[in-house]
Amino acid sequence: MKHEVNEQGGAVVVGFEGDVDLQSSPDARKIMLECVERKMPILIDLSKVEYIDSSGIASLVECLQTARKSGSDLVLVAVSESALRVLELARLDKVFTICDTIEDGLAKVG
Amino acid sequence: MKNGDVIQDSEIKGKESISGHLELLSDMGQDFATSLDIDETLRHGLQRIADYVGAEGGALFLLDESGEMLECTACVGPTEIVGLKLGSSEGIVGRSVQENTGEIVRDVSKDPNFKTEVDAESGFTTRSILCAPLSVKDERIGAIELVNKTSGDGLFDDNDLFFLQSLASSAALAILNARMAEALVEQERVKRELELAAEIQRSLLPDEKGEEYPVHGVNCPARTVSGDFYDYFPLPDGRIYFNLGDVSGKGMNAALLMAKTASLFRCLGKTIHDPGRLLSLINDEICETVTRGMFVTMLGGIYDPKKGTVKLANAGHEPPLYHARDGSFTPLPAEAPPLGISPLLTAGGGIPVTELGLDGGSLYVFTDGVTEGYLEDGSEFGADGLMTLLTDMASAAAPERLAEVKRRINRENVALRDDLTLLVVDDGVSMDGREQMAGEADMSDDETILHLQFPSHPDRLKLVRSAVFDTSIHSGCSDPIARDIVIAVDEACQNIIRHAYKGSPDGEVVLDICREGANLVLNLRDYADKVDVSKIKPRDLDDIRPGGLGTHFIREVMDEVTFLDPPEGEGNLLRMVKQIA
Repeated sequence: MKHEVNEQGGAVVVGFEGDVDLQSSPDARKIMLECVERKMPILIDLSKVEYIDSSGIASLVECLQTARKSGSDLVLVAVSESALRVLELARLDKVFTICDTIEDGLAKVG
Repeated sequence: MKNGDVIQDSEIKGKESISGHLELLSDMGQDFATSLDIDETLRHGLQRIADYVGAEGGALFLLDESGEMLECTACVGPTEIVGLKLGSSEGIVGRSVQENTGEIVRDVSKDPNFKTEVDAESGFTTRSILCAPLSVKDERIGAIELVNKTSGDGLFDDNDLFFLQSLASSAALAILNARMAEALVEQERVKRELELAAEIQRSLLPDEKGEEYPVHGVNCPARTVSGDFYDYFPLPDGRIYFNLGDVSGKGMNAALLMAKTASLFRCLGKTIHDPGRLLSLINDEICETVTRGMFVTMLGGIYDPKKGTVKLANAGHEPPLYHARDGSFTPLPAEAPPLGISPLLTAGGGIPVTELGLDGGSLYVFTDGVTEGYLEDGSEFGADGLMTLLTDMASAAAPERLAEVKRRINRENVALRDDLTLLVVDDGVSMDGREQMAGEADMSDDETILHLQFPSHPDRLKLVRSAVFDTSIHSGCSDPIARDIVIAVDEACQNIIRHAYKGSPDGEVVLDICREGANLVLNLRDYADKVDVSKIKPRDLDDIRPGGLGTHFIREVMDEVTFLDPPEGEGNLLRMVKQIA
């Protein structure tokens, strides 16, 4: 799993690439929680995620909850087909705010 | 001094000596009889004899096993010569042993047999020697010698000789007894070891699984341990693996090779479900390590109770007999040489596998200890005898049939000619009956498409997912279904890694994917402690929190999810079914 963090339009954008699974989800969780600490809106780009498992989803949920507590918005953007399937299975597709593009996401949190 | 006085003197001395002799003899006899340390008793006895006779020193020599050397094993007096070795006819002691008589040498310097080298080395001066052989009947054991009489006139006399000879006889008996006792203890020890080995061997045989079970076996070793073996165990898909083998020879070496071969079969058989390939692999293993000249004849097979078929691979073993429902017998000859002879066996693609529909009949696999066993009248049981008996008993339950064969050959108080081993696969249902039973149910081949074994390490999951995806596509799944199957397997593997193996990456996980008609069946097996299935629940999705989603995913994407009892041993077996057509 690769990742990229940058700030864009007043938000932190975290992008993951590859598989977010039992092996890599602890890293993904750490990266996301560090972003939450910046007290800025967060966009999580899942366009290049080929596979995400329940542990990856659990990390997303934990970050969403932490962000909400600190009053920041968290948005998933460009969710890949396979990641969307897992979100649907977890019935979390309605819990997360999901936008098609980073621009849409920035508009949503802006 | 008058003649008469001399006689009187010697008579009195004789009487005193005899009572003293008897006392010492009886004392020492007691010592020898109760001795736990024969060397120490001999040394002690030697000291008492030397003291009693009044000799400066003494030594006890024993013949070695070859009978060619004499070794000093006990010694008293001013020089220490324990360990000194002489040729069995060297020196005065050697002469005494060879001629099996005692003697008095009053002046050793005049005796050509006297070994002057010993004195030269020790600095001791031997003047006279009294020597008596140690022997029981004609069995020569060694000799005792006393040197330099110091008491009286300084000359050994006939009384001394007589006395030494008497003691030598009881000492010889004691030594012989001690040796026999030692041999007996050794024999006992070997016997105990053999019994322990036999116990381990028996534990390698499978437990009888009850009359209803289709496979049964018997084994009677001709000696304590056996070179024969048989085994059977169920596979996760319900088929039953079985084998029967005969190692050349009947001793401990055969028993050890038997243990190795049987263990290899059981271990490899859990993952390799092609008996031909399995036997080839065992052949490679045995060829790599086996002692020259030893080999194993072996038959391995898989019985499918659902279809009533067996797949057989026969490496040089006695042809098994198929007993059809119509009463006919068909021998099925071996198609490959025994295991352990040539590693090239596998080069040609393994051992050929024969498939046979049992159609309600029985398959008998046995060693030549059955057909070559002697009957009560001294004749050989023979294949004909076996067939007649099995025909007569066709209506009896399998364990009864086997017990009867065993009873005919292995009679009380009669040693078996060879190890006797017999295994039967009873196919209870005929083809017609099976079709009726099966009704419209799918009878297509449920061959394994993928068999994957991997450690419980998270970094292997990507590989597993990729293999499962490709297997699903290969089996005709659509892309979204293949993806869903991947999710289920990945989550189930996670549960095993995190909960069953508690994060330890050294556990073993086995995944089998097979096609059963319109279904893709995935069996996921681990060898961790049993998981309490009642505690595994899909989580309540209204409760949004991290974790606990995996089981829900599995139940959501699969059509059927069941925890099965693993066929044997510990561990967990999860069966997941996805309808794909």
